[in-house]
Amino acid sequence: MTPGPPMRAARKMAPSTAVSKGRLARALGFIASPVQRAGEGGLVVLLLATAVFFALRVIPGDAAALVLGDQASPAALATLRAELGLDRPLLLQYLQYLRGLATLDLGSSLRRPGTSAFARVGEALAATASLAFLATGIALVVGVALGLLTSGPWLPPPARTRLSRLLDGAAAVPLLAVAPAITWLLAVRFPVVPLPGDPDAGFGGLFFAGALLAFPLSVHLARTSRTALRTTTDALFVRVARAKGASVFRAQFFHALPAVSAPILTVVATQLGALLGGAVVLEKLFERRGLGTLLLEAYAGRDLPVLEATVVTSGLLFVAVQTLASLLQGILDPRAREAR
Amino acid sequence: MTSAAQKADFSWKRSAPRLLPLALVVALALVAASRGSATYLVPEDAFAAPSLRHPFGCAETGIDFAALLGVGLLRGLGLAVVVALFGFSVGTTVGVGAALRGGALERVLLRTCDLLQAFPSFLLAMVLLSAVRAPSRVHLACVFAVTAWAPFARLAAMETRVLRGAAFVEASLALGRGLLGTARVHILPNVLPTVAVQLGASAAATIVGEAGLAFVGFGPRDGVSLGGALDQAVAGVFRAPLLLGVAGLAVFLGSAALVRASTVFSPRKRG
Repeated sequence: MTPGPPMRAARKMAPSTAVSKGRLARALGFIASPVQRAGEGGLVVLLLATAVFFALRVIPGDAAALVLGDQASPAALATLRAELGLDRPLLLQYLQYLRGLATLDLGSSLRRPGTSAFARVGEALAATASLAFLATGIALVVGVALGLLTSGPWLPPPARTRLSRLLDGAAAVPLLAVAPAITWLLAVRFPVVPLPGDPDAGFGGLFFAGALLAFPLSVHLARTSRTALRTTTDALFVRVARAKGASVFRAQFFHALPAVSAPILTVVATQLGALLGGAVVLEKLFERRGLGTLLLEAYAGRDLPVLEATVVTSGLLFVAVQTLASLLQGILDPRAREAR
Repeated sequence: MTSAAQKADFSWKRSAPRLLPLALVVALALVAASRGSATYLVPEDAFAAPSLRHPFGCAETGIDFAALLGVGLLRGLGLAVVVALFGFSVGTTVGVGAALRGGALERVLLRTCDLLQAFPSFLLAMVLLSAVRAPSRVHLACVFAVTAWAPFARLAAMETRVLRGAAFVEASLALGRGLLGTARVHILPNVLPTVAVQLGASAAATIVGEAGLAFVGFGPRDGVSLGGALDQAVAGVFRAPLLLGVAGLAVFLGSAALVRASTVFSPRKRG
């Protein structure tokens, strides 16, 4: 039923044709694909920026009325409209907005006058980036370790099967369903981690939030690397490594693992959107400052410049990491370069 | 893998255990929802302990938490089913059509699906919802529908690509049946079971996504949703920690039951 075997065979044939194209063509392909990816990424950011612009201006009603509320005087509304440029034609506003994006100047925050919108985003960005970075790191270590454990010969077979089943079950559990309960258990019932919202939480709080955020990603990674490693273990190059005297760990870690880096990186890249969504939920749960809380605050206060800057920055962050992942994939796995 | 074999696969004996969890969850939610009001504030019942009248107790507002969860779960399930079915019908049509046409249209469609599937959909939902003050369920359904069709279209296009070279498709075309008729009679019956497998994943993602959006504050105005219930439970974590457990469990049961139910469409015997 699956189109698997013939298509996979066809993809494996690709390198031989790439070789005949010569060195220059291959080198160009290596450069062109990240450029193409960056172009696509730029398109995504532009679409997102356009969506937020029109969502805030076109859909229902008057943005100035949304900011000031229903009881605002007509004079105050007119002043704010002039300040935001809402009284100008929409196309002109849009062009001005694009120029503002390019020069990183969308004006100052409505709720904190004097502070530029991008400055507020910059403050929040560091917090979210460290959370997401930590979560990805934890997920990579835990996920790949679990993948190795469930595909390698270290555990007795019954334990391996049980762990495997546990992973399959955990994959069905949404982060939103367990994160609050785990937080209660570890922060309130058995206080081993700082309470959510504790200003002195420090690294312990960050680590706990990162570990929670890493939960779905690490389960995903464990299952992907398990499947990929199981098929690679029988590959000739791993068996040759074993025959030449490499230990099981060495063969799995240094020979099989780099060969399955592609699916692992793909999972990381495709789960980034979910990670970003999870970060918003966790920042709300832990009352941490970050892009998520800033977005919610700007939404609640109808702080249009901040809202726009936050959305565009998160989109940019997301696209940059994805491009990085595809670049890294080309470096780690030569087949990914030639198969394009 | 003909359509006749597919039809023979369906049997109540095989389907009943798969549909049972969803039926149980819906029945439980209906019972819970019918026992009390999900919006009626009773200040003197704030943080009431679990009792016969309030099986899970109450949050700060004094709303019966069981009723709140029941109505929230029903609303979430309804939204998830509507969004998944919309994605299924639109995605399949677009995917099969584009793959049969081939060429640039197909390439553009597949790239669009790639982009939409890798997109931070939570962010997109928040962007679109920021246009309204308090999103209604129609708004939520529209926001989820924007991205919901992509995985279905991708699967349908991939399946159609394989089928369009098949001998029975070529024979049908050679015998004079038009492209539309061939698609209806020979391609759709073969594509549908594969595409339908995605229904569960999409529905589960929608119910969890809706709960997440409501939890962070993009929920319905009356606060009756799974995410709203979670939010109340988190706010009252020191007084009534049980609420947190049952709210999380409700989100899990909703998504797991939907995934389980959709395995009815799984073309394999076990799945």
